[in-house]
Amino acid sequence: MAQETRIIENTWDLTAYQWKIESDALDLFVKGLKDKKILGRKCPQCGTVYVPGPTYCRKCFRDIDQVVEVSQEGALDAFTVNLADVKGTIVEHPYITCTVKLDGTHSFLMGVLEGWTDWRSIKEGMRVKAVWKDVTQGALADLSHFQLTEK
Amino acid sequence: MKRNVAIISVGYNGRFVSKRPDINIPELIQPAVDTAIGKTKLKHDQIEAYVVGNMHTFEGINQPHLWASDHFGGSKKPVMRVATGGSTGASVYQAAYYHVASGMYDVVMAIGWEKHDEGDAQVGLMGILLPEAFSLFNFGPDMSEDRGVAGLGGGGSTGGAAFQAMSYLTKAHAGIEHIDRVAAMMRSNAAKNPYAHLQQPGCTEADIAKTPIISYPLRYGHTCPTSCGAIAMILVSEEKAKKFGITDRVAWVKGLGSGASDATTGNIIEGQITDPAEQYMCKVVAKKVYSMAGIKDPRKDIQVAEVYSGFSHQDLMWPERLGLVDEGKSPEMLDKGAFAIDGELPLNPSGGVTSTNAIGASAMVRVGEAALQVMGLAEGGHQVQRKIENVVAHGWGGLFQFVTVTVLGRTPVKK
Repeated sequence: MAQETRIIENTWDLTAYQWKIESDALDLFVKGLKDKKILGRKCPQCGTVYVPGPTYCRKCFRDIDQVVEVSQEGALDAFTVNLADVKGTIVEHPYITCTVKLDGTHSFLMGVLEGWTDWRSIKEGMRVKAVWKDVTQGALADLSHFQLTEK
Repeated sequence: MKRNVAIISVGYNGRFVSKRPDINIPELIQPAVDTAIGKTKLKHDQIEAYVVGNMHTFEGINQPHLWASDHFGGSKKPVMRVATGGSTGASVYQAAYYHVASGMYDVVMAIGWEKHDEGDAQVGLMGILLPEAFSLFNFGPDMSEDRGVAGLGGGGSTGGAAFQAMSYLTKAHAGIEHIDRVAAMMRSNAAKNPYAHLQQPGCTEADIAKTPIISYPLRYGHTCPTSCGAIAMILVSEEKAKKFGITDRVAWVKGLGSGASDATTGNIIEGQITDPAEQYMCKVVAKKVYSMAGIKDPRKDIQVAEVYSGFSHQDLMWPERLGLVDEGKSPEMLDKGAFAIDGELPLNPSGGVTSTNAIGASAMVRVGEAALQVMGLAEGGHQVQRKIENVVAHGWGGLFQFVTVTVLGRTPVKK
């Protein structure tokens, strides 16, 4: 049987999706970002600090409403290095996505990692700090990246 | 559970391969069903009920069972359909177990399959990300250059696993070379399994290290293929097994369980609190299952492990989380050859999921392979030669947070 291939051109209009997942956690988070603050919620029962902060504690299964501002410094957790762009072209400056545990929090915040020269020398536990866009507008993009503060 | 249950037969449709354009889904399933029945003295009409499943969205064909039930003999019989993502095969098997253990039925067939050439698994996996991605669009993420795509998804399915791999390597003080090494071992094990997909006899660490990085520390050689294949198993009650006179060459279900932790990797909506490499629930479930199976020391009493590893670092992580190896000691076990087919704890003699992955079948293939090892019927040189009393089979699904564990053994648990 001969292999038959057909290419169908189409577009995917992402703006067609008008629905929104309500997220008190992200509402609070982006509100803080506008003022260059990182806000989360703390469970008064077990003390777990979530960033972004949901309105319930997943450990205690109870409602929580205590808003806390957390440190803008923390420790690098895991990371992954993308050596190529989405089209597969090798990039000069690899793109590193990381998870960070900000001081005093118990959740892993995802972000972009900068401030390194050789990515092979990056280790879990290195200190990082949040770097902001010059102009903030209350959006996830306000938090530009996490900067390594140690070599 | 009230009654003991035995797996008396395991059948595959044939060798797992990338593409089967010559057949459709019912035709893929049917040979597995016929093989499983053909290995026993049973007739089709003695199967009382069926539990079947695949993971539709990963395959691209919605509800393929709609045509299939006639073809596996399920027409006018009790049929239950199950789909739970990566753990589908294990969930199908567990549901089949409960059908028998509860006393409702005596002879039940479990069938799991995936025909990946019908669609695009990566597109299907995108569907998991979309609700989170679309809700994030409402909160102004950075969409410049690659940031939006990579930042939101953590780099896709491999990207998500890469965080887990990095976290594991750090905890175990291991390097990417250990992942290369275990990946090579799985591909060469697969060469001894006539049903495995990616068979690479004598595959070496260097062969794997040549493959490109997808999302560091994971390479192309560390990822599973998308396979087409089906597995069928027959589960019977202890009473019926005795009545049929089949109590030799069977695998008894001694313990099983499942559990969930919160979603890991990239749960930016609600604050991710779980490290994807921690796998607390895997430890809890394993402990419970061992106690159900009457196993006091899993390191002494379990001889073989079949774990579900879509990415090669998991072949090192799961034996630790299942309590078979000390935390962080898998790389050492690997280096001294303990995980080899003739080692002290043979790990995935079948070649595992990184060699063969028909998603809806994969978690059941772990159980099926465990059963074949207990029965002494694994073909083509991947049968473990030393005496086997118990084998553990494991599966996972979701964002690494749903786990299933099963212990099969040579002798049933006393009731």
